[in-house]
Amino acid sequence: MLTHAAPGPAPATPIPWERIEALLHLVQKPGRYVGGEFNATDTPWDSADVHVCLAFPDLYDVGMSNFALMILYDLLNSHSGVLAHRTYLPAPDMIAQMRQAKLPLYALEDYHPVAGFDLLAVSSAYEQLFANTLILMDLAGIPVRSADRDERYPLVIGGGHGTFNPEPMADFFDVFVIGEAETVLLELVDAMRVTRDLPREAQLEALLDIPGLYVPRFYRPVYAATGDLEAVAPVDDRAPSRVLKRMLPTLPPTPVRQIVPNISTIHSRALVEIMRGCTRGCRFCQAGAITRPVRERPVAEIVDSALQVLDATGFEDLALLSLSSADHTQIGEMVQQLLPLLKDRHATMSLPSLRLDAFSVDLADTLSGGHRSGFTFAPEAGTDALRHRINKDIATEDLFTVAEEVFKRGWRTIKLYFMIGLPGETDEDVLAIADLVRKVRSLGNRIAGPRAEVHVSVGTFIPKPQTPFQWEPFAGRATIERRQELLQKSIRGRGFTLAWNSYGGSQLEALMARGDRRLGAIIERAWQLGAGFDGWDEWQNPGAWAQAIAELPSETLKAHFATPAALLDAVIYRQRDEEEVLPWDHVDSGVAKRFYQHEARRSREAELLPDCRDGCHGCGIQQAYAGLHNEEWQCPVLR
Amino acid sequence: MSGTAMIEASLRFRITFGTARSLAYISVLELGTIWERTLRRAHVPVRYSQGFTPRPRMHFAAPLPVGCGTTSDLLDVTLDEPLTERELRDALQGVTPPDLTVVAVTPVEESTPALSEQLIAAAYDVWLRDIDPAALHVAMTRLLDAEQLELPRRGKGDRSYDLRPLILELDLIPDLPSPWTGLRMLLQARTGATGRPDDVLMALGFDTAPRRCTRTRLVLQTSPSEEER
Repeated sequence: MLTHAAPGPAPATPIPWERIEALLHLVQKPGRYVGGEFNATDTPWDSADVHVCLAFPDLYDVGMSNFALMILYDLLNSHSGVLAHRTYLPAPDMIAQMRQAKLPLYALEDYHPVAGFDLLAVSSAYEQLFANTLILMDLAGIPVRSADRDERYPLVIGGGHGTFNPEPMADFFDVFVIGEAETVLLELVDAMRVTRDLPREAQLEALLDIPGLYVPRFYRPVYAATGDLEAVAPVDDRAPSRVLKRMLPTLPPTPVRQIVPNISTIHSRALVEIMRGCTRGCRFCQAGAITRPVRERPVAEIVDSALQVLDATGFEDLALLSLSSADHTQIGEMVQQLLPLLKDRHATMSLPSLRLDAFSVDLADTLSGGHRSGFTFAPEAGTDALRHRINKDIATEDLFTVAEEVFKRGWRTIKLYFMIGLPGETDEDVLAIADLVRKVRSLGNRIAGPRAEVHVSVGTFIPKPQTPFQWEPFAGRATIERRQELLQKSIRGRGFTLAWNSYGGSQLEALMARGDRRLGAIIERAWQLGAGFDGWDEWQNPGAWAQAIAELPSETLKAHFATPAALLDAVIYRQRDEEEVLPWDHVDSGVAKRFYQHEARRSREAELLPDCRDGCHGCGIQQAYAGLHNEEWQCPVLR
Repeated sequence: MSGTAMIEASLRFRITFGTARSLAYISVLELGTIWERTLRRAHVPVRYSQGFTPRPRMHFAAPLPVGCGTTSDLLDVTLDEPLTERELRDALQGVTPPDLTVVAVTPVEESTPALSEQLIAAAYDVWLRDIDPAALHVAMTRLLDAEQLELPRRGKGDRSYDLRPLILELDLIPDLPSPWTGLRMLLQARTGATGRPDDVLMALGFDTAPRRCTRTRLVLQTSPSEEER
């Protein structure tokens, strides 16, 4: 049994079932709050000396579909002396009931209060989770600011793609895992086991020896009198000036005993990650950049793992995960081996993230077994020229050829994903999207008849950190709303659906993605005013965000920005200088800033950069992880 | 009859099962998926439909209301290859979610009518927390004396229906531990005429009380003559 130096704020005893049960008839979808899933751990609490609560700060329905959490759950629970449980953010109706009943947030396995765990690891996968993270901590009875938590409270860890700019959330997390968490999380747990009786400051100091951890309290942002960021400087000798992401040279084994939800969730299926990273180099894509180098799991291992997961879970569908499935060098062989085995089990298979080419159509055709829902492609832009700027190497003519093939093979619906607000985009580029989708529909009508449909989804481009577009401004409201209107006017009529994002939501995402540590005050204030659930139209609270921004809710913000508009200009609306210090410069993805600068220049010149499997373009990843190259890597061997 | 001759394999089984706690808070579709996945983990050779999305041949007697567990619900499963009772029972060991229990496994004739066609009534125990038993007793007496109980139909706009004929029996459960007061209900459960425990609570004016609901029995019409008796 764990003993803290000081008595914890929450005792390590579970909440009685009757207290939870008493609320369940008052809320929608109560199955979210009761656990009881097959393959959830039943290891007794007292058999472990370190307890980790893994949290996804959105609804159970969303969080249960997150594979990263599943990987870490399996990994931690396989580690001797460690017990990991899960928690998710309850929906607003349940939050209200819990507050009224004074019931703190609990983990689903056996209803231990979240505050009673040693570590709370929260996914920071994307910006819409930021305000939710504060709601989650508060509901757990944990102070939201790292500075207000001592060793009686769980150590709060952030991880996921959002941590490649950790600064907006740096006031709230005690430590960030930068990069792949599999090994570093175990090192962190072992360190906490040794330092558990020490004050929080000492616990955090001990973490400075572990590569890949970023402990924000040991770094201080330095601003010029003008408010410009001059540095995020270490204030402890042991804190590295740059934190290089952790990267596993060989992909870790697939978790076999994946948790089977009792209620319907966004995705509920067996998952096998076939590849990490992407060699395509789309210039807007943060995921592709920060997950380099590309590592492929061998086919034999994929097939073996898939069958084990299906047997251990009973799932009827298998999804092979990667950023670009058709790019696995053995994908054809993999599908050929898996299909008959799945058929024997009355199971199906899906391959998310297919490319726009004939090979991918073939693959999808083989998989579908005659069942045709929609076929999804992401051309991203309407013209060849703009596609060259973003390094998406698809010609409009080829797109028509592929679409024709898709309709010929019996699909009646094509879904197309585009972005607007891309660097260098004109209204003509946007009108070209409308032309393109109208031609696709005409093709569909000619081949598949009047029931052919084109579903168009238009996102707003956000210049993400750690990409060649990290210096670019976010497009203004007038531009985006005019272009959305152009599309609404020209994509209408039978056989079309058009979906787009509200400008406000994208603007907020841009602010969270690109801000520095001064943003923390805004996130905290917005949360106090009722912000959260930013991914949910029915619950989001744009007014709270607007007010928080308008208040400039800290002395630093007031000193540096004369008006809220000046803040927005500085963070999202200006072209940044390639020489200036970026808020995320001290987080190193292994890809060199110099490479992004070259890519930014090539983008301006509409120059394509081919897939790097055929020749290394020197992004820097091989140098950052020199000596770790192995046969799973798809990087060409450098001489 | 000798012991060995009794062991006969069957292609259709009736599984009697119980659900509690976490599994009392799911929909009937979700319970179907849970059973499908449980049978897959058990490697039971369930018969699947043909077509693009094969479905297992599996039929419940009646949907279990969300918020309600059960001690003895029924599921019929048709197999591709015959199994003995023992084989099926063993296969289900260790593969059910923690709050799902297999009470009994019985072979049934393949020609037996579907469970949903045989069902005529269902019994529920509803425990209410922290309520005044005397007030409940008064409400119960008034309800049983009523000739008609108009209640809104769920999700059907202004339309209403008469709950009273669907209530076959309604009693207090004696001697429950504090803070619980219990109601035992026997409600009709026929196609188009199904009483719901939540609606009975609404008619009683106790629909906001914290509760624990358990279906304790399904009443099947075993033969036409038996129903007449």
